[in-house]
Amino acid sequence: MRRVAFFALVLAATLTTLGFLVLPVVAIFTHVSPVTLARQLSNPVVDDALVVSAKTTALAQALVLLLGTPTAYLLATRRFRGRSLLVTAVELPLVLPPAVAGIGLLVAFGRMGLLHTSIPFTQTAVTLAVAFVSGPLYVRAAIAAFEAVDPTFVDAARTLGAGPARTFFRVAVPLAGGGLAAGEALAFARGLGEFGATIMFAGSLQHVTQTLPLAIYAAFDVDFDVTLAIGGVLVLLSAAVLIALKLATSWTLSLQTSGFRFAPSTSN
Amino acid sequence: MKRLGVLLLVLGALACGTASAAGHVTLTVYAASSLTDVLPKVGSVERYSFGGSNTLAAQITQGAPADIFASANLTLPEQLYAKGLVRRPYVLTHNALVLIVPRADPARIHSITDLRKPDVKIVIAGPTVPVGAYTLQVLKTMRMTDVLDNVVSREADVRDVLAKVALGEADAGFVYATDARTVPKKVTVLRLPVWARPNVAYGIAVVTASKHRDEATAYLRMLLGKRAQTTFRSYGFLPRRTAG
Repeated sequence: MRRVAFFALVLAATLTTLGFLVLPVVAIFTHVSPVTLARQLSNPVVDDALVVSAKTTALAQALVLLLGTPTAYLLATRRFRGRSLLVTAVELPLVLPPAVAGIGLLVAFGRMGLLHTSIPFTQTAVTLAVAFVSGPLYVRAAIAAFEAVDPTFVDAARTLGAGPARTFFRVAVPLAGGGLAAGEALAFARGLGEFGATIMFAGSLQHVTQTLPLAIYAAFDVDFDVTLAIGGVLVLLSAAVLIALKLATSWTLSLQTSGFRFAPSTSN
Repeated sequence: MKRLGVLLLVLGALACGTASAAGHVTLTVYAASSLTDVLPKVGSVERYSFGGSNTLAAQITQGAPADIFASANLTLPEQLYAKGLVRRPYVLTHNALVLIVPRADPARIHSITDLRKPDVKIVIAGPTVPVGAYTLQVLKTMRMTDVLDNVVSREADVRDVLAKVALGEADAGFVYATDARTVPKKVTVLRLPVWARPNVAYGIAVVTASKHRDEATAYLRMLLGKRAQTTFRSYGFLPRRTAG
């Protein structure tokens, strides 16, 4: 009897959780028909926001990958004093409220800030805000991915005469590939949804700094259809990212399976 | 199972706490962000949600639990009144629109026409925010809509505009005189020509769906009363010109 009651409770909790998490997403699509969604895609506000989001996300993620990968590699493969302090510093933006990130960027890069630049209110500001809040997600995942690479492979490559650069590109990165891709997918999704830091650091101007999330906010009281349509677009994009993430993860697993004799899988 | 029981007990206690706290009514006031400083000085037990009046109106339309709506224009309360979402609106107070520049005045703006200089970074509120609409109205009256090319951001409410100018990141912005007064050391106020000044009137109304209509009505009356109006004036608001 008790067992049945327990199972019923667990089932009820699961159903409630599922319903709660799925309902808002379903609600967006019940309120905006595919026709409205398609029509709103030609709305200049939505169009401009899509372009701004695409541009800034692409640039920000390029920055994240180019700078974050070597950073993560160094932090994962070297042991030195203060390393954990550095790792914590890299992770801090992850737990920082976005509004704090925005004000921090403003007093760092603002005209009256430490570096006296004229970056605020430009697309560069959006890019930096996105990189700031999403980068740590990637770096964190990348450190874990590089740490999981079996050092015997790296050592083997080095003994066989490959230089450090060649080892990095041909051994470490491919072996950590799945983890890197998974980290990047998360960073991409987080960056796409960036709101707080952007609105404080870059402001909001259609065609210049107004990204999709900012456009949702600006359209909220003007045209609820536009809000819903952008919401629908973002749901689809986010779902695509999530599926990519799943694929990346299964890629890691298959890689690890092939090298199982040498590197017992730690994940899953 | 025991733990679950404890959890239920805690939840029950929380629910009781909320219920007993509701013994005396705490009104929820949705108010224009330019009222941020003055309203808490006038009332005492209200809960506030300050923001762009347009955002607040949209939230009330979506069923937000407001008892009172105080807007920085008359249009929004009248629109909600026409939809039956609020009861009859009254004029609460008046304000003046001003141009502000950071104390350091990096772009050397001495009059509104200086906004035309190239590369001046102007921050204004979005067109549906009351202060943004007044800003557009002034620029139209003065035949200066070309300065909109220098706008670098359209903010969600007047306090966001104020913050960006006060920080020195923007060269100029349009806010209410009462907002500028809150950061006297950080911004310089430039008055607009009398003939171009918009009539900034605040509308206030009881929300129809309020569960505390009587208390909300009493609160509204109190705000229109002599003592509250004196406080409003001490914060730089202009006397009510239109009787209820």
